[in-house]
Amino acid sequence: MRLPSARNLAVLAVAVAVLAPLGLLVYQSFLDAPFFNPSAKPSFAAYQYVLVDPDFHTALATSIFVSTAMVIIAVPIGSLFAFLLVRSDMPGRRVLEPLVLIPIFLSPVVLAFGYVVAAGPVGFFSLWAKGFLGVVPWNVYSVASLAVIAGLAHVPHIYLYASTALRTLNPDVEEAARTMGAGPLQVALAVSLPLIWPSLVFGGALVFLLGFELFGLPLVLGGPAGVLVLTTYLYKLTNILGTPSYHLMAVVAVVIVAITMPLVILQRRFIGVSARYVTLRGRGQAVRRMPLGSYRWPALLLVVAWLGFTVVVPLAGVALRSVVSNWGEGVNVFEVLTLDHFAELGNFPNLVRGIVNTLLIATIGGAAAVACYAGVALAVHRWQSRVGELHDFLVLIPRAIPGIVVGLAFLWLFLFFRPLSPLRNSPFSLWIAYTVVWLAYGLRLITAALLQIGPELEEAGRVAGASTLRVYFDTTLPLIRFGLLGSWLLIFMMFVREYSTGVYLLAPGAETIGSLIVSLWGTGALDLIAALSVINIALVGAGLAAALRLGVRVDA
Amino acid sequence: MPELVAEDIVKRLGENDVLRGVSVKLERGEIVALLGPSGSGKTTLLRCVAGLERPDAGRIVIGDQPVFDTARRIDVPAEKRGIGLVFQSYALWPHRTVFANVAYALRLRGVADAEIRPRVAQALESLGLAQLGSRYPHQLSGGQQQRVALARAVVYNPSLLLMDEPLSNLDAKLREEARAWLRELIKRLQLSALYVTHDQVEAMSIADRIVLLEAGRVEQEGEPERIYEDPATLMTAEFMGSNNRLEGSIRSVSGERAEIAGPNWALSGTLRTGKQAGEAATALIRIESMRLAEEAGENRLALPLTSVLYVGERWEYLFALDGQPIRVWGSARIDGGEQHIHFPADKLWIF
Repeated sequence: MRLPSARNLAVLAVAVAVLAPLGLLVYQSFLDAPFFNPSAKPSFAAYQYVLVDPDFHTALATSIFVSTAMVIIAVPIGSLFAFLLVRSDMPGRRVLEPLVLIPIFLSPVVLAFGYVVAAGPVGFFSLWAKGFLGVVPWNVYSVASLAVIAGLAHVPHIYLYASTALRTLNPDVEEAARTMGAGPLQVALAVSLPLIWPSLVFGGALVFLLGFELFGLPLVLGGPAGVLVLTTYLYKLTNILGTPSYHLMAVVAVVIVAITMPLVILQRRFIGVSARYVTLRGRGQAVRRMPLGSYRWPALLLVVAWLGFTVVVPLAGVALRSVVSNWGEGVNVFEVLTLDHFAELGNFPNLVRGIVNTLLIATIGGAAAVACYAGVALAVHRWQSRVGELHDFLVLIPRAIPGIVVGLAFLWLFLFFRPLSPLRNSPFSLWIAYTVVWLAYGLRLITAALLQIGPELEEAGRVAGASTLRVYFDTTLPLIRFGLLGSWLLIFMMFVREYSTGVYLLAPGAETIGSLIVSLWGTGALDLIAALSVINIALVGAGLAAALRLGVRVDA
Repeated sequence: MPELVAEDIVKRLGENDVLRGVSVKLERGEIVALLGPSGSGKTTLLRCVAGLERPDAGRIVIGDQPVFDTARRIDVPAEKRGIGLVFQSYALWPHRTVFANVAYALRLRGVADAEIRPRVAQALESLGLAQLGSRYPHQLSGGQQQRVALARAVVYNPSLLLMDEPLSNLDAKLREEARAWLRELIKRLQLSALYVTHDQVEAMSIADRIVLLEAGRVEQEGEPERIYEDPATLMTAEFMGSNNRLEGSIRSVSGERAEIAGPNWALSGTLRTGKQAGEAATALIRIESMRLAEEAGENRLALPLTSVLYVGERWEYLFALDGQPIRVWGSARIDGGEQHIHFPADKLWIF
């Protein structure tokens, strides 16, 4: 096997998987009817329709507002948490460190549903608060709550980048400030955080980007109030004209990508900067932590309060809602306790299939996806070439496309490309879309593992007489086997969590828990949603527990 | 017949010319040291020979097999070159036992299991690792790891052994011991070896011949004693030993002898360049060639003592000449004030 050609082949496969759906979207956006319609002609009509639609303008403005608010909320809190958990002697940080990341692994649609049943007009906490105050002092169905909830839910994304950078920071620079009389907060603001600014900018750009890709939260929290963001506007277009308005949807998708793609490119430039910043300080110093003094307990309280609001409230809401037969004002929880909702799931073959499919896609599909990612990562491993750079860019493209849009594009691909059609009504259609959506994430996991291996370990294999491929199988893969296992667990969680990619691919045989919750939300079947959500959370929890137990770095 | 011929090797990394046409030849059974400061290209040259780096131009022949030739478009991959390589970091595979590390190359060559066992055992035995076969690399000391790396590189009897600073990760004591047994082992196994190091003492003690590299070119090559005692260039002279250096200009030349002088001093030495009287020049002398004298005399300077250091096996005296330090070694503490220092004219090289 000639390796250079294998490498080019791998990059070609990635290019097809990434560019085919994107190309189809762009192509469709310039037609005046669905592409499979023989009368479809090239036209700007779709753009003319969408770009002057007042609803579209409102949705765009809301998306920009929510994304900006998310950055404003998540960046300070996330970087503060990183400082507290990584650099300070705050009590309980060992326990809190993995807990802070939980929102990353929770399905946003489950989270949103949790807020509705916990803090909605007749939510558990709302009625409890009403008992004291006479009124519910908040309204979960508003742009403001959407922005706050989304902002707080994205704190972990900032935390991830900030904590990684802070870990490499030499504690001497902080102690120097300390000896000159700076308090812990002053040290954080004047020394630690400014030194990691590239990571904060990088994380902020990511959160801004994710703001445009939000779907579950605005669908559930914005829907009743008529609040639309770009993705929910796209979703609403599905049936607006009676016939599938694919050309209009394609335009919205293209607009979203036109906003997110430059952000991804900008981020990629920043990776270089942050890497430079880190290597300047480099080396794993022994961790010396900044004593917080009297701030220790208030700091802990702050992190716990955030966890309570972002994780405990919605999850408790979902869990409680799943075991009560009905809920409303004046209902006593203990009189309505039941497990019937879980039993009821069995009456719906599509829900049972959804659960089975989710499990299959996450376990076997997750393993297959990791195998694909590993194949691609090895193909470009230590490959200095133009094609390798092209590949680095290609894999970032899916990050710029919201899951729901990728799902839509793959739906069209399955309709458009006859050889794939038989697989349409099977979990395979979901698996391939999921694999593309999580391409950048999965490759980053594998690449991180590969970077741990000194090049000389592989060179020693070559010199001993092994071909490149043989070296991969005998040396490289065995050395990253733990990294592969960890990647599989993380991908398992992401695939269980995934919902938006499956929304358009939802069909008999291609159900998943997440996409079923989205479709059930339209029918108001709260009992079934609660039961499905609990199962979804339990699966993610099992994956997370296994990962932590095995010592997998979940902050990858 | 030469075991290795590398001709006019050119290697560029971006804008940077790492190797600018280096040629090295290695006779069968010979140990050649590639010596040079960091950035001189010595490791790059070794990696080019190993096939881990692709030269931009040149020709490499190992034994009678051309393995690289830009003109004939030959580039044999590393795994087909049949060489042994000892890495600076040892590069032992952490997921394999010592035995499996050493046995891997034999397995790749399709050697039968029944034959692998005794061959690996013998290789381990000859390096004093007989009891360690079932251990993993992380359970070994640095010195043991170093020997496993060597066993792994020689077990399949490669015609050519390449070593990239193999002793640099050992502590000073162990390193000195290792020089002796490493040379002895290579000779006993009748291997030909190319040995990269930045340590001139190591190069001189292990190698039969030294190729001194500087900025991607061969500065000088030859037997260790020739390179040390008869350096052709200022760079070689400076690199090979501990020296005092004096900047001045040539006052007069007569045959091999010349007189060099600075503002407050004048000395006669051996001229090693074609420079004429009046030209600026550098005088260099090995510290061990100098000694203190009782009184003033020919080629002696009276200099003020600035400090005295005790380094165990000797004393180091520091003098000042035109603001430049002059170091002299001695066996006893001396008191301050002016001392007479003798610069033997045949040992004072003028470049």
